[in-house]
Amino acid sequence: MVPVDQRGVYLPSGPDLFMPRCPVCEYRSQDWGEVASHLKAKCDLSDVKHVMWLNRNLTSRELGEEELARSLQEFFSLREGLAMWIRRKFVEKFYGERPHPFIVAMQNPTRGVLLGYVLEHQHFLRNWVRVLAAVIFKTDRDDVAKYEMENMSVEFFGFMGRPPHYELLIRMGESLGLSRAEILSTPPLPSTSSSIRTWRSIAESRHWVEVMAAMHSLELVADRTLRKYGAKVHYFRESILDSQEFPEAVRDFLREGYEADQHHAGEALEMVEKYAQDPEAVQVTVLKSFDAFSKYLSARLERGMQFEPQLVKVVKEVIQC
Amino acid sequence: MRVRVEGREVGTKESGCALCGSTWGDYHEEVERHRLFFCCDVCAREFRNMVQEVKSRTGWGRVEELEIRGNYYTGRTCVARSGDREVKFYVRFGEEGEVESFRVL
Repeated sequence: MVPVDQRGVYLPSGPDLFMPRCPVCEYRSQDWGEVASHLKAKCDLSDVKHVMWLNRNLTSRELGEEELARSLQEFFSLREGLAMWIRRKFVEKFYGERPHPFIVAMQNPTRGVLLGYVLEHQHFLRNWVRVLAAVIFKTDRDDVAKYEMENMSVEFFGFMGRPPHYELLIRMGESLGLSRAEILSTPPLPSTSSSIRTWRSIAESRHWVEVMAAMHSLELVADRTLRKYGAKVHYFRESILDSQEFPEAVRDFLREGYEADQHHAGEALEMVEKYAQDPEAVQVTVLKSFDAFSKYLSARLERGMQFEPQLVKVVKEVIQC
Repeated sequence: MRVRVEGREVGTKESGCALCGSTWGDYHEEVERHRLFFCCDVCAREFRNMVQEVKSRTGWGRVEELEIRGNYYTGRTCVARSGDREVKFYVRFGEEGEVESFRVL
């Protein structure tokens, strides 16, 4: 009988914990060679999900079975631990040779960039607390439940007398000329909706440690220590926080996120490392979350282009660099 | 039809997918009377939709040449040519391979 928890989620145990598996369909095998053979067979059929996973995560150049097996083993290697693996992959995807265009735009943010941030991020934050609620529902660990409740308070309700990030976000939008009613009545762009569907699906179907890793790894985006791990830039140009070029509400929002997320991501990843019984499942789910996050960051920039069409030049510069 | 991805000529299994340059997969489709290689049917759909979008915006009868740069993460900037005419644009695709964002540069 296949072991499952009370929600029907597969619970690996015994030897299964250490079995290599296909990162797309979870086909399990005794060794990476068989997983490579499985992936090759799927690619020969042009199976979209398998081909895309390889293109986005490993290489777009076809490899032979042996080389693919070695690459997979290396890719999923946890020699520095799970938390560091997540950190390094995040840097590669969003802060590497070609940083994400939204992050590039945030180095010299304009009104359009910040309004794109406001209009899409309100939907992200409203979904954020709902997905974290799934962690609380599923976990049997009190330290995790308390951690998530505090995080939800900071983001959505306010904590220790400070306004929630959600409110600071809306105030930033108001300071840039939109009314609260205009902000709240703007629906998400399709890419934001698609990303939210991905995170909700993870929340519904995956183990709570995977959900926790999928969400809190995204808070690395504002982690100032990423420069130590190869990030080329910070989330935004730090001098913004001390300059008068933006309204106070903009500085307040950016400062809050910047100061909170480093602590949030670091503490959550420590818990993920401590409680993960199936690290590869966590790795695979985190990568899905990164794909959704990339799409969502692009939606912020595209919303910004509705205010300032010239923002498309940022993308052009990133692609050509 | 001549297609380049990141400066490299593509469109066959050996050279790479006509949209993303990948050499995984084994999918072929005829676009603009040329049999092109794609790594999967989503890339083929995206490519077809992109060519159709260019034709409907420009009024061209056919696209003879495409230069594509970028990827899923960044979106793509492209140059399409037909005879001595050309158009530069940015494109991003939705979940089903539809054109979600198209901006002339």
